[in-house]
Amino acid sequence: MRKSIRVALAGNPNVGKSTLFNAITGSHQHIGNWPGVTVEKKSGYVKKGEYDIEIVDLPGTYSLSAYSIDEEVARNFITDEKPDVVVQVIDATNLERNLYLTTQLAEIGVPLVIALNLSDMAEKRGDAISRQKMEEYLEIPVVRTVGSTGDGVQELLHAVINEAETSPHHEHTIGYGDAIEAIIVKIVSALEADAALTSQYPPRWLAVRLLEGDRAVREKVDAGPAGEAVRAVLAGTDPDELEAEMADRRYGLISAILPQICTLCVKKMSPSDLIDRVVTDRYLGIPIFLALMWGAFQLTFAVATPFMAGIEALMGYFSSVVAVSGLPEWLISFLDGGLIGGVGTVLIFVPNIFILMLILAVLEDTGYLARAAFVMDRLMYAIGLPGKSFIPMLIGFGCNVPGIMATRTIEDPKDRLITILVNPFISCGARLPVYVLFAGIFFPENAGTVIFGLYVLGIAVAIGSAKLFRSTILPGNPAPFLMEMPPYRLPTVPTALLHMWDRGSMYLRKAGGVIFGIAVVVWALASLPLGVEYGSAESLAGMIGHAIQPLVAPLGFDWKIAVALLFGFLAKEVVIGSLGVLYGAGEDGGALEGAILADPMFGPVTALTLMVFVLLYLPCMVTMAVIKKETGSWKWTAFSVLYGLVIAYAVAFIVAQAGRLLTGGI
Amino acid sequence: MAALPLAQVPPGTDATVAELRAQGGMLRRLLALGLHPDSQVTVVCMDRGHLIVSIAGARYALSRGMAMKILVTPAVTPAGAGA
Repeated sequence: MRKSIRVALAGNPNVGKSTLFNAITGSHQHIGNWPGVTVEKKSGYVKKGEYDIEIVDLPGTYSLSAYSIDEEVARNFITDEKPDVVVQVIDATNLERNLYLTTQLAEIGVPLVIALNLSDMAEKRGDAISRQKMEEYLEIPVVRTVGSTGDGVQELLHAVINEAETSPHHEHTIGYGDAIEAIIVKIVSALEADAALTSQYPPRWLAVRLLEGDRAVREKVDAGPAGEAVRAVLAGTDPDELEAEMADRRYGLISAILPQICTLCVKKMSPSDLIDRVVTDRYLGIPIFLALMWGAFQLTFAVATPFMAGIEALMGYFSSVVAVSGLPEWLISFLDGGLIGGVGTVLIFVPNIFILMLILAVLEDTGYLARAAFVMDRLMYAIGLPGKSFIPMLIGFGCNVPGIMATRTIEDPKDRLITILVNPFISCGARLPVYVLFAGIFFPENAGTVIFGLYVLGIAVAIGSAKLFRSTILPGNPAPFLMEMPPYRLPTVPTALLHMWDRGSMYLRKAGGVIFGIAVVVWALASLPLGVEYGSAESLAGMIGHAIQPLVAPLGFDWKIAVALLFGFLAKEVVIGSLGVLYGAGEDGGALEGAILADPMFGPVTALTLMVFVLLYLPCMVTMAVIKKETGSWKWTAFSVLYGLVIAYAVAFIVAQAGRLLTGGI
Repeated sequence: MAALPLAQVPPGTDATVAELRAQGGMLRRLLALGLHPDSQVTVVCMDRGHLIVSIAGARYALSRGMAMKILVTPAVTPAGAGA
């Protein structure tokens, strides 16, 4: 009979928690709906002996005060879902702050195991941490781990099983001093009236949380039979003052045991300090950031081009095989026009996406992204956003879905809402294929610069919109900036690749799923009614396109583009997939580029207008769903869609008109 | 030496936190990060009040608004720093 154990992985941000999670679970992961950031519940499985162990990776948090949404998610999981064991991943190079979370976890009373992670780094710099002393003082098992090499993973699992089997109940308490203890006793006795609540949570923990002004706990207690009595005890206490006092006691405890467990934890100036002085310099900071970004995009294209050519050649080969295969004509049309033209056209851009994701992963893993957020804070503040919004925006370059989910670390609700609303203007990876295709055809000499310009336009619109929202519908000042700058770390190749795969594979799955489905639909619409010339104006696609074409005619778009944009709502790369189907790319072995170049409707101005429109026009379907989920409001979701359409139309119209005036062409 | 806002401490200075003038969530966040009265802070670099500080081995960036709410006692007088 196999036994199952459920383990929650908790810890501060930047302690190598995700790396350790990967080392424990390997490929046996169930990555929630949206891979990329550890915001959603990410679980993995591992077998050891007769045990099936499920590991749930909680968001990184500094405390369990439920101050930000991340903290709330982590806290609620531990208190409400009651995992069998909680593993706190601790950064061995930064014991003091990490132990603060330990004191809070211990107070909840769950079985706890400490993974002393990044131990190699602590040892390398000469720290001598005694695990025996740590276990003795904390009464918690401590295991030495190194996530990047997998050291200590087996020992950790062993400790987890041991803890789950024996589940020793520790009464971990911290003395808060006579005055506070007296109030705690009063609250605990008042809480006795609420048996339902105290059977679910330890009464002392509830009392401590109430004193610290925890709103969620307060609501739970208020709703129950003990509500009135507790309110009476709390009346006249100042949560801010008490919280500071209690934090002081916790740190007092930590600083009392720290010299015992770590004899050589010396403070040194690290090379990080020097790098920080350069990359956050008043004059150099922003130019360094822009240069890195520009370099990233140049690299994306330089490295991807040979891979793209390879995939394109492969598609051409499939196409020629299909053409002479002797299959029924409708099937050839489907394989060639629908499948190769639709899905194949999208697949060509996989190398771009993966390289962009890799660069973003490296920037994040080295610790530079946090500095970029700091450098941009003053700029961000000026436009009405906190510097923290910068990270969701940067992640948005990969995909808006994890970008919007990353806003959960922003505490202020208005700051967060604005950051969510402007995120769709940040040009995600799915829009890249559209740019690569059209910039490649019409601006072959300056493709990199044109694409960089589109990214800048997206940022400009995001900034302008934030400023607009801040001065109209969501007034106020952004919260002051306060963020951890993780130490610079050289990313390991496997971690960076795993990160890239996490984010890039979503694009592949989309190509196989929704994009395949749309390609089939577009192909059917282009082929029906029976007997009509494929993709002609008389086909269903042609009729739909002609019906909506007047709307986009002022932008210089024909019916094919109208259809492509309509389907592009489902996923923006579908725009070229649909065009690929409608132009019958693959037929005659010619690719989409040739067909577009031969179309007299298309010129540089139309191409640029289309790229601008695709950049801005709508959050894609998945992004829209996540906006709804994160804002919890259909009103704001609808606002985001309508606002995007209006802005896209206005900007594209200006580009189309100005372009025609300036160049005299289309 | 009287307490002064962290935003006015020159780079390279070690200081002791004297008082936190923050409330609610912000206070909670500062405490969780290890910024509590009597804790040691080192200013790594600063640009017009925006600064990066080192607290117990970890590094945090603060905006000017935040740094004005943290009162510290420098270990050396500001005038003598950098000497």
